[in-house]
Amino acid sequence: MRFTPFIAGSTVAIIGSTSGFATEYLTVSQAQQAIFPGAAFTDAAVRLTPAQVKIVSEKSGVRLRSPDIHAWRTDTGGWFFVDEVLGKHEFITYAVGLDAKGAVCGVEILVYKESYGQQVRNPQWRAQFAGKTALSPLKLDKDIKNISGATLSSRHVMEGVKRILAIHETAFAHS
Amino acid sequence: MKPPSPIPEPVLRRARPLLGTFVEIRASGLPASRLERAVEKAFAAIVRVQALMSFHEPTSDLSRLNRLAVRRAVRVDAATWTVLRQAIIMARASAGCFDPSIAPVLQRHGLLLGQPTVSRADWHAIRLLPGRRVRFLAPLTLDLGGIAKGYAVDRAVSTLRRAGVSCGLVNAGGDLRVFGIQSAPVHVRHPSRPGAFFPLGELHEGALATSAPTYVNALIDPRDDTICARGISITVLAPTALLADVLTKVVAVDPAAAPRLLARHRARAVILDTQGRTVWLDAASFRHVA
Repeated sequence: MRFTPFIAGSTVAIIGSTSGFATEYLTVSQAQQAIFPGAAFTDAAVRLTPAQVKIVSEKSGVRLRSPDIHAWRTDTGGWFFVDEVLGKHEFITYAVGLDAKGAVCGVEILVYKESYGQQVRNPQWRAQFAGKTALSPLKLDKDIKNISGATLSSRHVMEGVKRILAIHETAFAHS
Repeated sequence: MKPPSPIPEPVLRRARPLLGTFVEIRASGLPASRLERAVEKAFAAIVRVQALMSFHEPTSDLSRLNRLAVRRAVRVDAATWTVLRQAIIMARASAGCFDPSIAPVLQRHGLLLGQPTVSRADWHAIRLLPGRRVRFLAPLTLDLGGIAKGYAVDRAVSTLRRAGVSCGLVNAGGDLRVFGIQSAPVHVRHPSRPGAFFPLGELHEGALATSAPTYVNALIDPRDDTICARGISITVLAPTALLADVLTKVVAVDPAAAPRLLARHRARAVILDTQGRTVWLDAASFRHVA
């Protein structure tokens, strides 16, 4: 082990006090290939009816923020979903793969973005991520920032996975 | 100063929700398809540690111990055995500053689900028996949260290395380990303003863990149930993530006694306050104290 301090002194300056950082791990198509290698995908996006939204919320115990579901069908009988979690300071896009039997076969984080300004709540700021994962990748952050506050947002992602299972059961399993 | 060595291309980066946080793995030094397989195996190693040592999973080794080991000897997996042995070694070496039987304390503070058991026993009541069997001499509830995450990171790193990855990093929500030619720039969060970071330095071939009460106050002295390390963050640099994970708790609970243990494990700690003032605890400060 070797550690080289940036500064020799006993006080270090604060950086990034109002900004945040972003990491893009996978684009949508990369995540599709990571979870279902070699498979072909058909867009199966759907808008849930109010009745389906209610069923999904009851089944999963998690509130559904939008009735618009980003889903794909694979030629192997599996399903691929892209969803997002908007925390107090985090914006996380993630993908879930379900096999032909409807069991989770993969969860991948696509984009992890932290912000401590007002941007996260700002629809315009969010809009840049809508579908952006497939278009222009974010500038990769080379720094290591300990995501030590991620306990809550990782729980939100796990709840999101539960919600996707309920969505699959309600809207896709019998199609 | 020598220019930094180039990172071998390509670099694969993946993140998954595991161990109650996000685990990020970066790897390079192999063709892309082999990197994919290596990273997949490393995540599988972490999933396995989670399945064995989760407090909430009823089928985990840990839950079986907590349910049964007070009545009879319970056989555990080799990985669980390794972590328990290390936990007891560190509990003894730190005079109980680190104690795997801390679960009831965390439960009383609402940091862990479940009703706390009423027990005066501590880690001394854990018996490791031949054949990887474990017995509690008194009612105990173990929580390996302060050590298993570091162990999982170490397992992921050795899995990557065995698969031929020459350079990489595993970060489990602040418990991280880096290996290979690439060093990792380390930033630590401001103890009370999570949007602010302090740049600390470059870590090469080593591990670090940070404990801070920024989000939850999980730093509690297992010996007398008091909350410690208010308003500061503690970062430990150590050869392995397991050691770094455990030693952050020891430094939080007893910063005066910690340098001896840090020095023995070739580890260093840095305590950071809200003003950005840093205090280093390491072999040099041990000499100073001694």
